[in-house]
Amino acid sequence: MNTEQEVLIEAREVEKRYPNGTLALKGVSLAINRGEVVCIIGPSGSGKSTLLRTLNALESISSGEILMDGISVHAAKTDLNALRTHAGMVFQQFNLFPHMTALENIMLAPVEVLKLPAAQARSRAEALLAKVGLADKAGNRPAQLSGGQQQRVAIARALAMQPRVMLFDEPTSALDPEKVGEVLDVMKDLAAEGMTMVVVTHEMGFARAVADRVLFMDRGELVYQDAPEAFFTSASNERLRAFLGQVAAR
Amino acid sequence: MRPASPWWRLLTVALVLLIGAGMYWATLKVNYQWRWERVPEYLLVTGGEEVPAPFDGTVAVSGKQIRITPLLGGEAQVIPEIDVVQVSDGEIVFAGNTVGKKAGITPGPLLVGLWVTLKISALSLVFALVLGLIAGLGRVAHNPAARDLAAIYVELIRGTPLLVQMFIVYFFLGTVLNLSGFVAGVTSLAVFTGAYVAEIVRAGIEAVPKGQMEAARSLGMSHWQGMRKVVLPQALKRSLPPLAGQGINLIKDSSLVSIMALTDLTKAGREVVSSTFSPFEVWFTVALMYLLLTGALSVYVRKLEKKMAHD
Repeated sequence: MNTEQEVLIEAREVEKRYPNGTLALKGVSLAINRGEVVCIIGPSGSGKSTLLRTLNALESISSGEILMDGISVHAAKTDLNALRTHAGMVFQQFNLFPHMTALENIMLAPVEVLKLPAAQARSRAEALLAKVGLADKAGNRPAQLSGGQQQRVAIARALAMQPRVMLFDEPTSALDPEKVGEVLDVMKDLAAEGMTMVVVTHEMGFARAVADRVLFMDRGELVYQDAPEAFFTSASNERLRAFLGQVAAR
Repeated sequence: MRPASPWWRLLTVALVLLIGAGMYWATLKVNYQWRWERVPEYLLVTGGEEVPAPFDGTVAVSGKQIRITPLLGGEAQVIPEIDVVQVSDGEIVFAGNTVGKKAGITPGPLLVGLWVTLKISALSLVFALVLGLIAGLGRVAHNPAARDLAAIYVELIRGTPLLVQMFIVYFFLGTVLNLSGFVAGVTSLAVFTGAYVAEIVRAGIEAVPKGQMEAARSLGMSHWQGMRKVVLPQALKRSLPPLAGQGINLIKDSSLVSIMALTDLTKAGREVVSSTFSPFEVWFTVALMYLLLTGALSVYVRKLEKKMAHD
């Protein structure tokens, strides 16, 4: 099988219904290839974050199936803890552990989950901090870091598990405008290294420059998907054009 | 903010003095005889410990040593190191008679009571924290049985008076399981306080943002790993001030164990009152002694809080 075409994540007719009856995902199907960078855009409440969170089962699904490396993510017998070590996740609010230093944040899961010796976890964490440009912040608590720095530590924390795919849930939405660039730069480097990435974002420039494919979601449906050039310039879909028009008008 | 005028402090002092004077005036109205000088001897006994005779017998004195030969026959007993011998050679004493005193200062009934109160409170607090942590984790558990059991425990304990619980533990459980007053006291205080600690722990866990557990789970950690390494350390830090308040309540509630034939500080106070007929002085002293314990605890916790804030 050609590695370019190897499917890493596949979603089949995924539905998500909340207990109050609202349908957050209405039969979404998609396939993400190994090494591919996929951006998901759409208005708030369109289900794009919900979809992302079903990929590592932080969110349950009502029907359908999600396969990661051929393993059914939502099957009862699946070892979720083992599966999640392969899918790094970066959150909008960073969710760093405030009682630990940047270095300890990154070391925790390798030591606790992978049972790595502390020295090895430490050198891995130090290398990752250097990679995201924060080698000098190893001993700082999250409260002593700017939003952009915190998010870069959070990316390093997810990378420490050496995941096969990175899931980004609006990673720059909580940042001051001048801090967005430093986080996007780290993500660009990651994409250039061939990391498989699924990115829920409002950063159209990033999607256009980095993504291999852009998905548009609206009201729980996957409405449209295409390569970025075609997606942003010549898409004929009504709803997508209306959305892009609104974003451009801001 | 503009610094407040020092006159407010003066006003506080004046008002406190006024209230004190009012109380003094009130005692004059009831014609109360203040005898503060009688209190210290119940704190520390300076006269030395009295040595009683173990049985009826004839005394033989040699220096600081007394030898008692039983009247009814049998082994003679030697009592060494009596500092003030109060019997003479050849005298006949009866069981319980004072034959002499040992020198030195010994703790009086109030200090002994304070020690008992301290022991009961410290032991109960340790058990209450363990019990409360377990029940608090039960309250937020996914398992319905754990959740329901913890909820029943908390509601049952918070819904009934401590005094009634103590009667049940002492008279019912105590009789069935043959518990001593001390064990019954520690048990009822720990179970009672544990319910409140559980609610404090639950509130502390729920105050930690949901994203913390999500981040831990997304890294492949189990629920328990996330709880232990990520959520609980943050939750307990937040819980420290209310836990300190609960610890202070525990010390004060421990005064109720005096119903269990247990001579704690309150029971000791009651006994001293009945022998001195100076209730005002004794109860003021007892209150002050409780205040020392609770004050020490709150100073300690405040220090701990400061230390944790720096970490």
